[in-house]
Amino acid sequence: MSGWEIMVPGICGMGLHLKMDGFRMVYTAIAVLMWGVAGAFSREYMAHYKNKSRYYVFFWATFLATVGVFLSADLYTTFIFFEIMSFTSYVWVAFDEKAESLQAAETYLAVAVIGGMVMLMGLFLLYGVLGTLDMDKVGPAAKAVLAGRETFENGRAIQAAGGFASPKVQLYVAGGLMLFGFGAKAGCFPLHIWLPKAHPVAPAPASALLSGILTKAGVFGIIIVSCVMFGNDGAWGLLIAGLGLITMFLGALLAVFSVNLKRTLACSSVSQIGFIMTGIGMSCLLSWAGEGNLLAVRGAFLHMVNHSLIKLVLFLCAGAVYMNLHQLDLNDVRGFGRGKPELCFCFLMGALGIGGIPLWNGYVSKTLLHESIVEYAHLLEEGVLAGEEGAGIISTVPAALLPVLTDPAVWKAAEWVFLFTGGMTVAYMVKLFVALFVDKHPVRQAEFDEMSSHYMKPLSRLVLVGAAVILPALGMMPHVTMDRIADLGQGFFGGTGHAHVIAFFSPVNLKGGLISIGIGLVLYAAVIRQFLMRPETGAVGTEAEASGGDKKAGVRGRCYVNRWPSWLDLENLVYRPVLQVFMAVASVVCRALDHMTDGAVVLLRKTVYRQLPEPKAHLEGNWLAHLLGGIVDGFGLLWEKVSGKSGDGQVRVSAVHHFIEREKQMKHMGMLVEQSFSFGLILFCIGLCLTLGYLLFVFIR
Amino acid sequence: MEGNVILLLPVVCPVLAGVLVLAGKVFRKDRKSLMGVSLAVLVLEAGLTAWALTSGGSLLVWRLTEQMDISFHVDEISRLFAALTAAVWLLVGIYSVAYMSHEEEEHRFFGYYLIVAGVLMGLNFSANLITMYVFFELMTLTSLPLVLHERSRAAVMAGLKYLFYSVAGAFLALFGIFFVAGTADTLIFAAGGVLNDSMIAGKEGLLLASALCMIVGFGAKAGMLPLHGWLPTAHPVAPACASAVLSGLITKAGVLAVIRVVYFIVGPDRLRGTWVQNTWILLALMTVFMGSMLAYKEPVLKKRLAYSTVSQVSYVMFGLSLLSPVGLVGALSHVVFHSVIKHTLFLVAGAIIVTTGWTRVEQMRGLGRVMPVTLGCYTAASLALIGIPPFSGFVSKWYLATGALSSGTGLWAWAGPAVLLVSALLTAGYLLPLTIQGFFPGHDFKSEEIEKRKLAGKEPSLWMLVPIGILAAGTLLFGCFPDYLLSVVQSTAAAVL
Repeated sequence: MSGWEIMVPGICGMGLHLKMDGFRMVYTAIAVLMWGVAGAFSREYMAHYKNKSRYYVFFWATFLATVGVFLSADLYTTFIFFEIMSFTSYVWVAFDEKAESLQAAETYLAVAVIGGMVMLMGLFLLYGVLGTLDMDKVGPAAKAVLAGRETFENGRAIQAAGGFASPKVQLYVAGGLMLFGFGAKAGCFPLHIWLPKAHPVAPAPASALLSGILTKAGVFGIIIVSCVMFGNDGAWGLLIAGLGLITMFLGALLAVFSVNLKRTLACSSVSQIGFIMTGIGMSCLLSWAGEGNLLAVRGAFLHMVNHSLIKLVLFLCAGAVYMNLHQLDLNDVRGFGRGKPELCFCFLMGALGIGGIPLWNGYVSKTLLHESIVEYAHLLEEGVLAGEEGAGIISTVPAALLPVLTDPAVWKAAEWVFLFTGGMTVAYMVKLFVALFVDKHPVRQAEFDEMSSHYMKPLSRLVLVGAAVILPALGMMPHVTMDRIADLGQGFFGGTGHAHVIAFFSPVNLKGGLISIGIGLVLYAAVIRQFLMRPETGAVGTEAEASGGDKKAGVRGRCYVNRWPSWLDLENLVYRPVLQVFMAVASVVCRALDHMTDGAVVLLRKTVYRQLPEPKAHLEGNWLAHLLGGIVDGFGLLWEKVSGKSGDGQVRVSAVHHFIEREKQMKHMGMLVEQSFSFGLILFCIGLCLTLGYLLFVFIR
Repeated sequence: MEGNVILLLPVVCPVLAGVLVLAGKVFRKDRKSLMGVSLAVLVLEAGLTAWALTSGGSLLVWRLTEQMDISFHVDEISRLFAALTAAVWLLVGIYSVAYMSHEEEEHRFFGYYLIVAGVLMGLNFSANLITMYVFFELMTLTSLPLVLHERSRAAVMAGLKYLFYSVAGAFLALFGIFFVAGTADTLIFAAGGVLNDSMIAGKEGLLLASALCMIVGFGAKAGMLPLHGWLPTAHPVAPACASAVLSGLITKAGVLAVIRVVYFIVGPDRLRGTWVQNTWILLALMTVFMGSMLAYKEPVLKKRLAYSTVSQVSYVMFGLSLLSPVGLVGALSHVVFHSVIKHTLFLVAGAIIVTTGWTRVEQMRGLGRVMPVTLGCYTAASLALIGIPPFSGFVSKWYLATGALSSGTGLWAWAGPAVLLVSALLTAGYLLPLTIQGFFPGHDFKSEEIEKRKLAGKEPSLWMLVPIGILAAGTLLFGCFPDYLLSVVQSTAAAVL
């Protein structure tokens, strides 16, 4: 499949580089389809919202950015469009400005920004060691680094940037950081926290896109890192497959417990991303073991495609419910789908598709993924890694990982995790289906039935049914449709080996699917009906009886309960506390740094540079008056304490003032006296008397 | 006086005009003539700068002694800084026409505003260390009245602090200058340094110490630790247009001085790999992190932006400290980008104050209903400052980080980009809440204040909105089409290193 390539040098510094090939064509087509359907559906869904223009601007801006991500041919371009996509889609989540929307949007933005920055760090390191971000050149360059060679193919010496760590270590760190960034968007454990929050609050067409295709932009990045950079690295494959298995299992578990329609679908998305990642991981492992990895590659790619299409249908069905009821809790929307055949058909197609039921599209991709795990376990049993050739392969991974990588039992267990998760998928889809289309609402059923004629406008109905028909069409003719799609996409994943026609409906392959379905039905009957539901009691039931509603339903009705412990929330349990502690410590340290210089200046002012005290106000009177006054005051206080009198409520005037008054009077008097003529005469007299006395004293002696 | 006299015009004209505005009684009474003269001079200044930059060359203004003279010269670095100064000064001048109508004694503000423009131009054109030092000190003194403008107790104390830090920094640098003057044949700037090896022999340690003194000393103006303290004090009390230029351009004067000292006097080769470089990187990175962290904790918008400046100018310092061509490209482009971004942000902060009187971020909930266009410009500038592509900050960050990784500075090569990114996260944390609360105040949000004061849809006047819009467009356009600027900066870096 040859396509076109565009280089736009100079944009954003390094220039944009876009390219079209099979994989990109498929995903561009899916993006156009999804935005078209969601856009058509939005016309009805958004009709009653204000700020519609804001929604549409960001709706189409995100479309352009997402297509940009999928068309990008170097990671620099990917990053640019990826960031634009993250920020424009933020508006979707925050759109209705309700408290929980804003909180979810905050989480979404935090994950997006942190993921983006971590990814950017990865890109820095990658660029530092490889010197290129072009997707075609990254693969060979990374292989040269991983093989421990001295130079790249073009003769440039391999050096770790900064000479701080070895090139290989730097490449792994770069890969890990990029995985973090892309994984955050894809919804990979442990960064899936935004999905279950953001999806339920966003408008339904937006959640369909968030789940169906924005997460795939993250997966796109994971594919580049895993298949292009670490295409045949065993340790990396193990990491991805392990994360994939954990993600698929936990996502499905959350979905089983969830009692909110859109939240269940969101958790289901997390789980399905886990399936895709498992496939990507298995493709690395298979090619590490020296075998063709086509099974895994085709499985992962087809599951991406299937999940996009299925989630589009399912979220729009949820949107049809929400735009009529403005509620999503399963207890509130119970029975809404009764008597609405189009809605039932569409939802059923999606449910069957995602549940992996034979003849629907999800079955095909899940079978391929299942087969890839089986094949790897089978290879290990055959002893592919045992011989001399195997020793060479084994030496490329750390010894600590070998027990996991080479033990067939581990991969048998992985297969069972896979099948069990498939079972949980069936279980939660049955749960949703029963809730919507079988259960009856104890109070509002009549009201719901009455809506059957006008719950969706013709345009929405048309696009929804159209999107739903695709799913069985793909699943019933896998060799005509899905194989061709896979042929287009597998080159991008670096798929190797020859594609042999797989008999999807052979007994061996049907067995895996049927086991999952069996597990699912058992889970539904044993766990969901028994443990996650309880007989209707309380307000709703009594209300039903009081209003004379369907008594039978009131008695028979069982409602859904949320048994997931509320404290068990990764975000509130771990991330927020860790962040808070970090911020608290860092802010104290920074505050100290901030005040360091000012503090030094103050210290110097107090010690070396003695600032003179400001001159005090001149004291009235002389020291004698103060001394005497003080003494008298002291005696006065003493007297009061001894005698117990408290001055009869009057403010006692200090004796100092009294003395100062007296002194002033004396001074004044003195001045008058000193200036008078009589005073002079008296002095003269005294002088004369003294002289006379002295003369007499001398004379008598 | 010998050489190209045109170089003198952009320095002298605004200074004379400023003195005239300060002295002329007519300008105190007649607002129209004040604004007319000020704007005319600013436009003239832009034209004269363009003329001077295109004609280039050098000019000996005044010979103090045989070795010391005041002389101007135009090279790549001065082109970059002078063009930036002239353009931004004009835009902020236009904004001030509307903003300062809410303040008293406008003639004093505009007088000093014009004088500082001339002094900055002199700084940009200076051809040797003596000239640069003279204009550096002049800049401190003439920009002081801008800080003091409101003459409140807080403003006076802030002005004194500004004076103290600037003078302390300059004196610290002066120590280095004295040493360098004794070991150099000449103090005329020349790429690669002018020191004489034979004169330094045996005094290498002292040379390094004096280099650090100059870096830290001139770094005071750039808000680098440990002398960053004046920024968060001076900015909030100054009028918004004054804080904008203080933050966007005066701090860049510190950057220019450091570039001149390190790359044109001491020479990057003498510092590479020494303890001075390591200390410098450490100081710059600590400042980057500290500034962001404190901005994150700061509730007053203008003060938050001031701390943000502390952090962002040290991005530039970090790029310079790498002593590598790519790092220098990142640093110089960040000079331009940060200047444009920070002017946008401060002008928006000023517009908010003028229109609503709000200064604290938590008051600004629902601001999108009051001034959506202004807040949109703020958002564009914020995204640029965080470094989200395709806005401009991303481009400079890319060069700073790849410059760090290719600089061969060991641990710093990794630690630098990591700190820059953590700081970018904090930047998102302190800038975006205003956007989010402004545009998404909550579906049941009803502000009595907005209704009572009829604030809804009340954008600031066009005098303010147009400069803000131009600058905000700049943050996007510089990011999308950085080619021209990058080629200029790259040739500059190639000429310097």
